[in-house]
Amino acid sequence: MSKFSVRKYRFTWDKGVVVFLVAAVLIGSFGSEYFATASNLSFVIQSIAEIAIIATAMTYLIISGEIDLSVASIMALSSASIGYSFQAGVPFEAAILIGLLVGLLAGLLNGVLVTVFGLPSLAVTIATLALFRGLCWVLLENKPVNQLPTDWVALGNDNIPNTFLPWATIPLVLIAGISWFVLHNTKLGRWVFVIGVNPVASKFSGIPVKGVKLGLFAFTGLMSAVAGVIYTLRFASASPDGGAGYELSVIAAVLFGGVAIAGGVGTMWGVMAAVLSLGVIRSALQLVGFSANALLVVSGGLLLISVILPRVTEFMRSQSSKASIQSNKKEKVYK
Amino acid sequence: MNKKVANKASAVLFASVLALGLAGCSPAVEETPAAEVSSAPASLKIAIVPKAINIGYFTAWDEGAQKACVELKAICDYIGPNEITGAAQVEFINQVIQQQYDILVISAADQNAIVPSLQKAKDAGIIIVTSDADVAAESKDSRVVSILPSEENRIGTAQVDWMAEAIGSTGSVAIISPANAANQTAWINAMGPYLESQYPEMSWVGGSLEKAVFYANDPTESSEAFAAILAQYPDVAGIISPTTVGVLAAAVEKKAKKAAVKVTGLGLPSEMASYIEDGTVEKVGLWNPLDLGYVAVYAGVAAKNGTFDGAVGSSFMAGDKSYTVVEGNIAYLGDPYTFTKENIAEFKVIY
Amino acid sequence: MKLLKKALRVRELPGILGLLLIYVGTGVVNPRFFSPSILNDILYGVAIVAILAIAQTFVIVMRHIDLSVGSVIGFTSFLIGDLSSQGFSLLAVLTVAVLVGATVGAINGFLVAYLGLPSLVVTLATLYIVRGIFNEVGAGKTVVESMVPKELNWLGLNQFFGVPYLFIIVVALMLIAGVTMHKSRAARDLYAIGSNPSAAQLVGIPVKRRILLAFVATGAVSGLAGAVMLARFSSASTQSGLGLELLVVAACVVGGVSIAGGSGSVFGAVIGAVLLQEILLAIGALGIPQFWQLAVNGALIIAAIGLDRYLSTRVKTSNIMGATS
Repeated sequence: MSKFSVRKYRFTWDKGVVVFLVAAVLIGSFGSEYFATASNLSFVIQSIAEIAIIATAMTYLIISGEIDLSVASIMALSSASIGYSFQAGVPFEAAILIGLLVGLLAGLLNGVLVTVFGLPSLAVTIATLALFRGLCWVLLENKPVNQLPTDWVALGNDNIPNTFLPWATIPLVLIAGISWFVLHNTKLGRWVFVIGVNPVASKFSGIPVKGVKLGLFAFTGLMSAVAGVIYTLRFASASPDGGAGYELSVIAAVLFGGVAIAGGVGTMWGVMAAVLSLGVIRSALQLVGFSANALLVVSGGLLLISVILPRVTEFMRSQSSKASIQSNKKEKVYK
Repeated sequence: MNKKVANKASAVLFASVLALGLAGCSPAVEETPAAEVSSAPASLKIAIVPKAINIGYFTAWDEGAQKACVELKAICDYIGPNEITGAAQVEFINQVIQQQYDILVISAADQNAIVPSLQKAKDAGIIIVTSDADVAAESKDSRVVSILPSEENRIGTAQVDWMAEAIGSTGSVAIISPANAANQTAWINAMGPYLESQYPEMSWVGGSLEKAVFYANDPTESSEAFAAILAQYPDVAGIISPTTVGVLAAAVEKKAKKAAVKVTGLGLPSEMASYIEDGTVEKVGLWNPLDLGYVAVYAGVAAKNGTFDGAVGSSFMAGDKSYTVVEGNIAYLGDPYTFTKENIAEFKVIY
Repeated sequence: MKLLKKALRVRELPGILGLLLIYVGTGVVNPRFFSPSILNDILYGVAIVAILAIAQTFVIVMRHIDLSVGSVIGFTSFLIGDLSSQGFSLLAVLTVAVLVGATVGAINGFLVAYLGLPSLVVTLATLYIVRGIFNEVGAGKTVVESMVPKELNWLGLNQFFGVPYLFIIVVALMLIAGVTMHKSRAARDLYAIGSNPSAAQLVGIPVKRRILLAFVATGAVSGLAGAVMLARFSSASTQSGLGLELLVVAACVVGGVSIAGGSGSVFGAVIGAVLLQEILLAIGALGIPQFWQLAVNGALIIAAIGLDRYLSTRVKTSNIMGATS
């Protein structure tokens, strides 16, 4: 893809997602009297917080040309570690640190398997999805941990005083903000894009491809762990089957945000808008009366649209450029 | 240039969306809705939330609830997730709060994960009754009352009795059960000491209750658990499965492999009919999910009307029967029904 | 021909080795593992994943993936029982199953081949959509034994000289698919497309038609496999087939069907599926506590992927598949 069309693609689709977000808000506001309330906004943010945080890391990873399907298992494993440690008598603050460390290590494991051993990330993370989930069962067996400290649980559920924003908004905004900055305004961010577009050329230009990828996997593990902390607090418990299936939601959100699965293209704004809008449209449709089954179909449909639309606009643009070239009686241009 | 413009435009749009959201905001839903006004119960809005909406067992549960709603002239909506997870169910509890329902009848998908949400619903003035599956005992204050089929001990020990009947009170027994399911864990814990004290000729495979439980969360895993049991303990006399999914899978496997092991447990009559009719399984039992839904709605409405508060010792009427609340703020329906060749034809069309 | 045979042998070797190693190893620790009933259990239990893995091979060798198979097989399994109980003949319901699967496959294939969309995204979307439709159609209903066509019931329950009929179906499908992949021009093109999509195009292979064909084939086989699922479980509901897709991909990968495309065979896919099933039973036989089983499974799959990578003759830096460049 030429640089021009890449920019146009990002330009078009990201605007598209934000427009979609506005449309979703409108649908909700006009479709149901219960939608545009402070409490609902709070619910929506809470329901997307974990996914959004993991999505920031997944964005980097997919742009660089890799993928990680084990994120939900890492999230659950860090949650299980927190529960296990706390139950063993470790003070809760320390338990949280343990959970974060576990996530980081898990991400590193993924990274090592991919960069050092050269295993394909899709296959490997399907395996680690099972491995990490399995470790949750090893830790907790069939006894979930509840009775977590109430002030911490309050952090996971209540709003910041005098606002309608849940506490989880703070880490969410911080992480999203920093991720956005690094991706679009630093050398590291540019490296991630270049690696995704052309890994071989990147290596030859001196970019430490393996190091960067290893770091991205570790980052993904860490973010999954952060999501795991929030998850544990929100549900006031740690259980071995927590967060099952979240990985597909994260990937769907990232793809809906305009990140190309092939790598090399995407923006953090798009992904964050996508996560928010998916949460909003879910809430809106739910309140309008859509059943869980209908929502499933909608999710799939949105995912399809998110990839079909850019293709269609690209095609139309190339058709119009072809037409104008031909009208100048020049030679046919290869697309 | 283009990128900067795009980013700026996105930022502006994003901010305007937030502004839109803020502008349209009403204050947080704290006050209890209009139903507080002591008007006709006809306007009561009740949400019936199962573990998952597409499962036959819960369709029957809802049928019972709807019957009560018709009798009480309330509006009942059957809503819920399509996968059995706490996180998914919480989204629907949030919907219930948002849409300002009066009463929530819910079968807990996760005994811990939904508690904070139930608290929020309670704070918003919604009456909460759990039915079929309860929250953790430590969290019993989050709901008014829980409607459960039978005392845990009775459900667990009853299955041991059925097993003893089938195997002549002699032999080793294994269990197939979902892991991390509060109900099943409680029932199995009741089975252990009961078998040891009442049936000295019977034992658990592997020598202990712990070793005798094989975990399985869906039909495939249940079938595999059956195979694993037979592989590891070829002389096993009986398999108990305190879950409709498990007992069905065990019956299917037993028939397929022409195994001699006896199977019993909690089974839906409609699913187990053919296996009881052809003798693969002698007896299974279950309570009536319709009753669970029916009684729960009545409990909720009684609580809403102020005639019932769920305290231990209090009671309420459901239809023409009275139910009393016992320790743990639970009301039990009674002993489970059993299904055998004699009565399966009658029950298989009901649920 | 000889070269091709050699290549084939290398790809499946880790899978076969793994099979034997685990069988012997577990049996040494627990001689009961050598009993014929264990073997029977493995063959009986592997049927569904094996058939889906065979179907998945068609798309994986092209460097694509089909995540919608779980939803499709669950749906058709339910439909067969449901329609059959309403009086439709076996042939009619099987045709419906194949058509449903083929339609989903056609949609997948069209979007991937002609619109150039990544298969991961497309099939993830169809996974959701098919499951959503399935849930609506099957809400609250369960297919029970009495609703299962007698023929399927019989197939599920019986054996041919000790080998379950369901596994014989797997072998038959494997042979048909294997020979086709080997001999037919269209199928061999799939490998070319997976190895080097642009080269394949330049050489004159009708890439788009082949991709469409592969997805339709995968969908149709998955649809038909619903019959096997119904025969196996004698029941079906909206919970059927959940989560199957990842297991199927794992089976393929473990069996030497490389995610990078261009190599692997249906024989390997079946080996992979059997290996995973064997591990399941071996874990119990080795006395590994149940709560460890999933973790051990994951670790073993990693080992299998690693071994396969080590032994593979082609070193390829793989991007996430689905990229048509």
